[in-house]
Amino acid sequence: MLLRIKKHPIIDFKDSERISFYFNDTKLHGFKGDSIASALHAAGIKKLTTSLKYDRPRGFFCGIGKCSSCLMKVNKVPNVRTCIAPLNNGIRVETQEKLADWPDVEFKSKSKETANVDILVVGAGPAGLCASLEAAGQGASVLLVDENQTVGGQLVKQTHKFFGSKQEKAGTRGIQIAIDLENDLKKFEQNGKIKVMMDSTAIGYYEGDKEKQHKFAVVKREVYENTLYEVNCRAAIFACGAMENMLLFPGNDLPGVYGAGAVQTLMNVFGVKPGKKVIMVGAGNVGLIVSYQLLQAGIEVDRVVEAMPQIGGYHVHAAKLRRCGVPILTSHSIKEVYGNGKVEGAVIVKLDNNWQPVKGSEEKINCDTICLAVGLTPSTRFLYQVGAEMEFIPEAGGYVALHDDSMHTTIKGIYVAGDSSGIEEASTAMIEGKIAGLSAAISLGYKKKGDSSLKKQHMGELDRLRAGPFGEKPRIGKHKISKLLGKRHV
Amino acid sequence: MKSKTDVVIIGGGVTGCSLAYMLAKKGIDVVVAEKNYLSSGATGACGAGIRQQWSTKENTELAIKSIKIFESLSTKLGQDIELRQGGYLIAVHDAKEMRQAEKNVNMQRSLGLKVDILDSDEINDVVPVLDVKGMAAVGATFCPTDGHANPFKTTFAYANAARKKGAEIYTHTKVTDIKTINKKISAVKTGKGIIKTNTVVNAAGVWSKKIAEMVDIKLPNVPFRKEILATERLKPMFEAMVISFKDGIYFSQQEEGHIVGGIPIPREKKGYKTMPTFSFIQHMSKTLTRYVPQLKHINMLRHWTGFYDVTPDARPILGEIKELKGFIQCNGFSGHGFMLSPIVSQILSDFITDGKTSKILESLNVNRFKGKKIDHEMYVVG
Ligand SMILES: Cc1cc2nc3c(=O)[nH]c(=O)nc-3n(C[C@H](O)[C@H](O)[C@H](O)COP(=O)(O)OP(=O)(O)OC[C@H]3O[C@@H](n4cnc5c(N)ncnc54)[C@H](O)[C@@H]3O)c2cc1C
Ligand SMILES: Cc1cc2nc3c(=O)[nH]c(=O)nc-3n(C[C@H](O)[C@H](O)[C@H](O)COP(=O)(O)OP(=O)(O)OC[C@H]3O[C@@H](n4cnc5c(N)ncnc54)[C@H](O)[C@@H]3O)c2cc1C
Ligand code: FES
Repeated sequence: MLLRIKKHPIIDFKDSERISFYFNDTKLHGFKGDSIASALHAAGIKKLTTSLKYDRPRGFFCGIGKCSSCLMKVNKVPNVRTCIAPLNNGIRVETQEKLADWPDVEFKSKSKETANVDILVVGAGPAGLCASLEAAGQGASVLLVDENQTVGGQLVKQTHKFFGSKQEKAGTRGIQIAIDLENDLKKFEQNGKIKVMMDSTAIGYYEGDKEKQHKFAVVKREVYENTLYEVNCRAAIFACGAMENMLLFPGNDLPGVYGAGAVQTLMNVFGVKPGKKVIMVGAGNVGLIVSYQLLQAGIEVDRVVEAMPQIGGYHVHAAKLRRCGVPILTSHSIKEVYGNGKVEGAVIVKLDNNWQPVKGSEEKINCDTICLAVGLTPSTRFLYQVGAEMEFIPEAGGYVALHDDSMHTTIKGIYVAGDSSGIEEASTAMIEGKIAGLSAAISLGYKKKGDSSLKKQHMGELDRLRAGPFGEKPRIGKHKISKLLGKRHV
Repeated sequence: MKSKTDVVIIGGGVTGCSLAYMLAKKGIDVVVAEKNYLSSGATGACGAGIRQQWSTKENTELAIKSIKIFESLSTKLGQDIELRQGGYLIAVHDAKEMRQAEKNVNMQRSLGLKVDILDSDEINDVVPVLDVKGMAAVGATFCPTDGHANPFKTTFAYANAARKKGAEIYTHTKVTDIKTINKKISAVKTGKGIIKTNTVVNAAGVWSKKIAEMVDIKLPNVPFRKEILATERLKPMFEAMVISFKDGIYFSQQEEGHIVGGIPIPREKKGYKTMPTFSFIQHMSKTLTRYVPQLKHINMLRHWTGFYDVTPDARPILGEIKELKGFIQCNGFSGHGFMLSPIVSQILSDFITDGKTSKILESLNVNRFKGKKIDHEMYVVG
C-alpha cells in the first residue's frame, strides 16, 4: 500500500472497490480500475517476467501494450500483456519463467463476426476520437477500436493544462479533454453512428477489393473467449499513436527503468507511485512535464539529465521544476544502471562537445527508478502492411507514411492522423484527426454545406499551432513529407 | 561491377547462393544478380522443412542426398544454419491413404531410408500435443532424420562462403534483359550495367518464367500464393514437422518456441498475389486447433505470404535449354526448393564445369513436358 498515491493536487483518487487476486500463490489486493501490472507494482512486485535469451528479470517498460516486457500467465492463459489487462476479482497471475507452459484450460470457441462500416478508425487517442466524431458528424458510420480499457489514448494521463489555441482546448487539462471527447462520443454511440470496441486490437490487413473496400481483422478480448471480427470498410484512419524510444546503456532492462508514458500511466491513471526516487533522462517537454507530475505525486526527482547542451522543452516547464529545486543538467547522460534484480542506482556522466563521456565526471546516484523521456517513434506497422509509401523523416520521429494535407496516404481510402503520421502533440493530433475524418467522409459521398470552409478552417488552425518556435520540427517534417509526395506524382 | 564473367546466376535465394558457392569452389568465375536482398523471395518466406518421405523415387533420392549434405553444412560453410532433425510425421487418415503410405515407405526403405509406420496410439509418443481424434488419423509415417534449418542463415552462410571463394554477389541489382548471339547467351543486362557471359542460370524462383520470356522461351511454371503464420512462443514441446496431405496443413515448433505452419486456402487461384487473406487465418486456426486444441489460447504473431513456383508434375526444372546454349534452368521447385538446394547445386555445378550429366538431370529437363507421360509427385503439402 506504500506505493499508492494518497494525496494529489489535481486528481482525486477515490477509494474504489477492493479486489483480491493471486500472484503465484500469494493473495494480494488491488482496486477496481487497476491493470494487473499496476496492482502488482503497488504491491511492490516489479519483476514480471524473465528475458528469453539472457534470463534477466524484466519489469514493464512502456505501460501501454507496445513492448511485451510484461507478459505473464493469467488464469493459466500465457503471454497476457498485464500492463493493459484489467484486474478482475479472484484471478490467478503467475510469472512465466521465460517461455510459457502450454495452457490446459477450456476455451469457448466463438464464431467469427462480421462488421461492415463506412470507416474504421484504429486508435481512440485524441486523433482517433476526433476523426470518429467528425466523420460521424458528416453522416458516415464508424467503427472505433482501441486496445485499452478506456478511450483517450495518452490524454488520460495528462494532468497538466494544455498549450495551444483556445479552440483546441488550451488551458484545459488532458484528462478533462479525454472526458469531453468521450461525452461527445456517447451521443454518437446512442444514435448508432459510432460503434466503439475497447479491449480490441486491430491485428492485420487482408486482401479485399482494394478499389472499393478494405478488409481488416480485429480481435476483441474477453475472458477465455476472444472474438475474431472481419471488418469491411470503405476507408480506414490509422491513429495508432507512437512508441516510446529506448536508450542503450548497461542495465537498461532492469525493472525500474520505465518509459515516461509508463510512469505517467502508473501515477495518473492508476494512482500508483513508480518508485521513491527518480532520475529523469531527457529535458524535452515530456521529461519536464512528467518530472513535475512526479513531484505532484509526492515522489522525489533527483535530477533531470539531458544530453543536448540546452533544454528542449518549454521554459515555463523547466522554470517550474527549478523552483521546486530539481536540477536540470544539460550535456549529461546516463552511463549505466545497476542493481540486483531491480534498479538500485545509476551512474551519470558529463558529455563533451562531441557527445563523448568526460573521463572522471562519473557520479554514482542511489535511486530506484529511471524514467526515459527520449522521444517517440510513430506506430506505422499497419501503414507498411497496406502498402503505403513510407519515408524516413527524422523530424517526424522515424519512418512515416507520405500523406497529403487531407491526411490521405498513397493508398486509396487509407488515412493517417496524430503521432502515427509524425510525432507532434495532442492539439495537432486532434485537428489532424478532424481533417482525416472529414476528408474520408467527404470522399465517401457524405457531403454537407460548408465542408470546404470547415476543412480550410482546420488547416489554418494547424498552421497557427505549428507557427511558433516549438512547432519548427513538425513544420519541417510535414514540409518534407509534402515535398516527397509532390516528387512522387511527377 | 564486373564487365565479364563465366557464369551469371539470376536470383539470390537459397538456390542461387548455393550454386554460386559450388561453382566458386570449383574455381569458376561467378556472379549472382539479385533484384532485392538475399533470401527476399520464396526462401525468406518458407517453412524450411527438409523431408525425405516422397512418393516419387527421384525426389526421395534427391532429398536423401540433400540431408547428407545438410548434416555437415554448418561446418563446411563455417556458419551455423540451425539444422534440427526432429523428423516429419505424416498423418494418415484412412485405409486408402494407408495403402499409398505403405507403398511409399517400401520404396523409401529400398533406398536405405529409415521410416516407421505408426499406429494411431503411437502418434502421441512422437508429438504429445496432437489430438489424434481431432485430426482424425488412423496412423502416421515418421522419418526421424527429416528436419528443418533456418532459411536465412542457410542462404547467408552459402553466400558468405561463396564470396570467400571469389564469387561476386550483387544485391539490389535487377536483371532487365538477356542478350544472345547465334542462339547462344552473350550477356546479361542489369540495372547497374552489362555483364558479358556465355552461361546464365535462371534461379529467379517464381519470376523465372519472366526471365525466360526475355529470350522468348516459355516455361510451364505457374505462380501460387502460399500463406504461413507464426504464433506466440511457448515452451518447446515437440520437434517433428507434422503434415497432412488430406488437410493440406503443415506445422512445427521452432526452437525459439513459435509454432510455424501453413495451409492452402480453399479455392486459391494462380497469380502473382502477395496480400495475406482473411480466409487463411480462419482456415488455418480452425484446422491447427483441431490438431492441437491447446493452441486455442495462443495468439497469432505474424502472418505472411510467399510463392510456390509450380510445374505440371510438381518437380523442378533443371538443366540446359536445348534451343539456347548456355541458358540453364534451376527453378520450378513447387514448394520444396529449400530442401533440394544442396543437391541441386551439386548436380548443376558438375554439369556447368565438366558438362557432366546424369539420369536424374536428364529426367528433370524441361523437355519432359513435351508429349510424354509425366510421373507426378503426389506428396506436396501447403
Ligand atoms: C508526458 C507527455 C506530455 C504531453 N504533453 C502534451 C501537451 O501539453 N500538449 C499536447 O498537445 N500534447 C502533449 N503530449 C502529446 C500527446 O499526448 C500525443 O501527441 C497525442 O496523445 C497523440 O495522439 P494520438 O491520438 O495520435 O495517439 P495516442 O494518444 O497514443 O492514441 C493511440 C491509441 O491507439 C491505440 N492503438 C494503437 N494500435 C492499435 C491497434 N492495432 N489496435 C487497437 N488500438 C490501437 C493505442 O493503444 C492508443 O490508445 C504529451 C505526451 C506525453 C507522453
Ligand atoms: C510459405 C512457403 C513455405 C515453404 N516451405 C518449404 C519447406 O518447408 N521446405 C522446402 O524445401 N521448401 C519450402 N518452400 C519452397 C521454397 O521456399 C522454395 O522452393 C525455395 O526457397 C526456392 O528458392 P530459390 O532460390 O529458387 O527462389 P527464391 O528464394 O524465390 O529466389 C529467387 C530470387 O530471384 C530474385 N529475382 C527475381 N527476378 C529477378 C531479376 N529480374 N533480377 C534479379 N533477381 C531476380 C528474387 O528477388 C528472389 O530473391 C516454401 C515456400 C513457401 C512460399
Ligand atoms: S507491453 Fe506491457 S509494458 Fe510494454
